[in-house]
Amino acid sequence: MASLMRQSCLSALRTPLATRNVAGISQVVAFHASTRKLILPPEPQTIQGTMNDPAPIPTPHPSHGSYHWTFERLVCVGLIPLTVAPFAAGTLNPVMDAVLCSLLVLHSHVGFQASIIDYFPTRRVPKTASFMNWLLRGFTLTTAVGLYEFETNDVGVTEAIKRIWKA
Amino acid sequence: MASLRTTSRILASSRPLFRPAAFARSYATVESGSQAPAPKVKKFQIYRWNPDTPSEKPKMQTYELDLNKTGPMMLDALIRIKNEVDPTLTFRRSCREGICGSCAMNIDGVNTLACLCRIPTDTAKESRIYPLPHTYVVKDLVPDMTQFYKQYKSIKPYLQRDTKTEDGLENRQSPEERKKLDGLYECILCACCSTSCPSYWWNSEEYLGPAILLQSYRWLADSRDQKTAERKHAIDNSMSVYRCHTILNCTRTCPKGLNPARAIAEIKMMMATH
Repeated sequence: MASLMRQSCLSALRTPLATRNVAGISQVVAFHASTRKLILPPEPQTIQGTMNDPAPIPTPHPSHGSYHWTFERLVCVGLIPLTVAPFAAGTLNPVMDAVLCSLLVLHSHVGFQASIIDYFPTRRVPKTASFMNWLLRGFTLTTAVGLYEFETNDVGVTEAIKRIWKA
Repeated sequence: MASLRTTSRILASSRPLFRPAAFARSYATVESGSQAPAPKVKKFQIYRWNPDTPSEKPKMQTYELDLNKTGPMMLDALIRIKNEVDPTLTFRRSCREGICGSCAMNIDGVNTLACLCRIPTDTAKESRIYPLPHTYVVKDLVPDMTQFYKQYKSIKPYLQRDTKTEDGLENRQSPEERKKLDGLYECILCACCSTSCPSYWWNSEEYLGPAILLQSYRWLADSRDQKTAERKHAIDNSMSVYRCHTILNCTRTCPKGLNPARAIAEIKMMMATH
């Protein structure tokens, strides 16, 4: 832990305050003991409003906030019995298979979405963020269609795992 | 003031029962015995950056101190360096007992308060002292806390009520309700937890961070506050709370032994079940 923290501290860009000259060319004075490994290097500090204004809070959207989180947790918890059940019961149920597949797709979509929000914040890189989001939607849709095909025209996920397990 | 002090000193010396005349008040120093023990020289590597020369790269400067002549804590070492070795070394400190939260810094890879961090007695290894990670540095070990304080202000950290109590005097609380605030009110806002959180490193513009969320929960959990619904609604977006991915660096690093991660979990629970 300590070594991890130290490494991150060393690689952390400690951008001093005055880093832009008149021409607007960034003269970032950075301290590095290791190579740059950051996806997005930090920007010069910007303070919105005066010192005494509160920091702006993003507009409330329960569908992006609490509802989203609750939904994500329910999917997570729901996946546990759904993963165990078909193997514990030993029977194959297409409905259960379909529910498992759709929850898996939702779960991975939400997980990758969180990574995109973390690493490609909209306020920093709006175009990249939107590109990544559409890319993710594309992947999710492809996965969903693929799984549907696999379920309807082939043996299905549970049976496939069973066969690979026994192979 | 000077005359007062002299008087009190005379008074004090006239009462040898309570304060012996031989007793001279002095600041805490390590006693120098009759025979000086072998010096225990320890190296301290300290992050230096001077805003007066912005084109100069930040550097690590090494100082050597004899631990026998230094107090036990990192802050003692820093103060001694500033007093006796290099007066240009800059850091914040005030209370020297873990109450004010001024001396928060990254010591040997862990965010902590210099006044609560013992100097490791192993003299073979040097100690490395940095400012709080991922902060904008004002000078040397002094980070810019503007955004942190602005975020604190944004959660309205004060009691909000629409109605007055029956007697119009006090907002009363049962011992059980008061107990909910234990582990929350002790936070001194030193920012050790927030600056140890990778999520806060990435999104400090919008994510509130563990320290501010702990304070937010302190007001959400307060039975006397009547704006709980408004408070919850204000932070109900994807950035303010839900950038917490339960990394738990905050709880691990808190120099006061508090649990910001639990407070964030309680907020998420409150928001999910409102």
